[in-house]
Amino acid sequence: MTHDVFELMNNATRPANILIVDDDQELGEMLRDFLAPDHLKLTACLNGEDGLKELQSGKFELLILDIMLPGISGLDVLKKLRQSNDLPVIMLTARGDDIDRIIGLEFGADDYLAKPFNPRELAARIKAILRRTKQSPRRSESCELGDIALDPRTRRATVNGEPLRLTGTEFEILRCLLETPGEVVSKDKLNERALGRRFMPYDRSIDTHISNLRGKLERAGAINETIQNQRGVGYLLIPGI
Amino acid sequence: MRSLLVRIFLSFWLIIAISIGLAAGGGYYYAERMRQAFENYEISDTVIAASNALESSGRPGLEAWLGDLPSNYPVNVFVLDRQGKDVLGRTVPGRIERAIRRFDQRRDSHREHGRERRNLRPARPLTQLVGPDDELYTLFVVPKYSVYGEWVREQTRVLLLLLALMVSAIVSYALARAITRPVHKFREATVSIAEGHLNTRVSDSMTQRKDEIGLLAQDFNSMADKLQRSAQQQVELSRNISHELRSPLARLRVALELARRQTGDLAEFVRIETEAERLDSLIGQILSYSRLETRDQDESTPIKLAELLAEVVEDVRFECRSEGVQGVTVDFNQDQEPLVSGFAGELTSALENVLRNAVHHSPKGGSVTVELSSVGEQARITIEDQGTGVADEELANMFEPFFRTRSALATPELHGTGLGLAIAKRAIEKHSGTIRASNRANGGLRIEIELPVRPAVD
Repeated sequence: MTHDVFELMNNATRPANILIVDDDQELGEMLRDFLAPDHLKLTACLNGEDGLKELQSGKFELLILDIMLPGISGLDVLKKLRQSNDLPVIMLTARGDDIDRIIGLEFGADDYLAKPFNPRELAARIKAILRRTKQSPRRSESCELGDIALDPRTRRATVNGEPLRLTGTEFEILRCLLETPGEVVSKDKLNERALGRRFMPYDRSIDTHISNLRGKLERAGAINETIQNQRGVGYLLIPGI
Repeated sequence: MRSLLVRIFLSFWLIIAISIGLAAGGGYYYAERMRQAFENYEISDTVIAASNALESSGRPGLEAWLGDLPSNYPVNVFVLDRQGKDVLGRTVPGRIERAIRRFDQRRDSHREHGRERRNLRPARPLTQLVGPDDELYTLFVVPKYSVYGEWVREQTRVLLLLLALMVSAIVSYALARAITRPVHKFREATVSIAEGHLNTRVSDSMTQRKDEIGLLAQDFNSMADKLQRSAQQQVELSRNISHELRSPLARLRVALELARRQTGDLAEFVRIETEAERLDSLIGQILSYSRLETRDQDESTPIKLAELLAEVVEDVRFECRSEGVQGVTVDFNQDQEPLVSGFAGELTSALENVLRNAVHHSPKGGSVTVELSSVGEQARITIEDQGTGVADEELANMFEPFFRTRSALATPELHGTGLGLAIAKRAIEKHSGTIRASNRANGGLRIEIELPVRPAVD
């Protein structure tokens, strides 16, 4: 569990297993070729049912999921997966289909890419997420604020001692905000830390993640600490009194 | 709807009232004429005429005279023979029979109680005539005009008329309601469908009716079914088109990167990539343009225009920093926080398109000014740039799809998809707003968008 991602990438014998669920077989094959030099081993599934079966093996470190699938939709696959699994998910949506994107992020996808995407961008995002999941144990001081406590070692979050289920991205955002309570964290920094990429115009992923996070915190009873939006700048966590 | 109800109600009522009025007037006129005729009438005239007829021609003459009496003769004349039968064989009204019986009884009692009073004859509505054949005829006169009936009419005429009007009003109103209620329901359903609630149907109580309205209701519902189905199909179709058109593009881009890796970067690869991106954004724009035409099934929501605009400005500023648009600044002034209602995604893309257009047509180091204000019930957004503006004759067309100004054609690097402003116009109009372009006095283009403000209390 404690591999460094760079160490992992230099180690040709241990490529990261990635599953892609997309009905475009040729695209999957080309992506496999494209990602192979980066030590990313891509397995392709053409539909949601097969994808869910493959995921049961537990060997995958990341899932690339197309929203438009024959049979059960990508969103349904995501919903089923999230019932039991925190596996990082990058979803592929049609450009301009905001609803799919928002629902996907609400259902717990970590990031999204509009199709057709630049494959270099896909590779960068995969690496960013893998780096995040591998790297975080390094900075392992647990942090606490009011009702909320985070343990980066186990990637567990608790509210008033009760465990709180967060996706990897939500966990990173919350950790980032907790480190500097009361201070505004720019969207750019949140993007870097949680998604491993720079903030792009017209990109509202962070806002969607924040609103999911707010909902989860509220439902878990963390009513003293609130996440506020500083328009045009970023977000801050207001500590409870 | 009110007015239709009122109109039908008034028409029915008017027709009924006029009918009642005509009938009452006619009746009154007839009664009045009868009364006048009766006033000038003397019973002796009848008696003398009958007597003359009998005297000159006997019973046949009497019968002829009786038969020739005009219909407007103020009295009905009955002539009874000794057996008490009418000479013309008409049935004698019970009233007359009773009167004769009473008369006979009285005569009998007079006979019993004293002959000395023989000269005293009780008043009677009848006269006895003796014909040449010594036959005795009793002449009976029944006035057609009843004094009692007239009295009733005098007293209750107004009352009856009022009653008739009231009853007819109730009936008319019920009838008018019966016609306009379904119309009202149809209207509610139509408005609801027009607002985008394509699952609206008229209720079973309407479709189960056995009349024309029931048929119309069934037709209405099947029409709504078809509308809903075709809207769904259109949404699915546009998703499928998007998917099918973009899948080759996605493969193209991966293939391009694989080729790059093998042969190194070539200028042509950059070009292929740019064109693929352009094709992709064109597909996106065409789809969002056509999607604006199909009605949303979602509800519109209240939107804080200032916030939405601030985000758009923020995004475009970011784009100004990161892309080739050098040194263009975007100023945003707002003195109002108007609330509009609509679809945030569509408004965002409308404003984005207009603002990006302004930024891309700005000279190096130029500035774009965005202003939000309120004018009456309208929220007004003005976006001004310092570009070259647009030829006056092209101003009207610049919101047409794929319209390019001459200056845009001359500078191909500015080529957008040609749909940005068309999308903006369609989205704004969908929100019951207006968008106008004009040239500024000292150069540059000014776009003015007005959107109706959502009423404070909903």
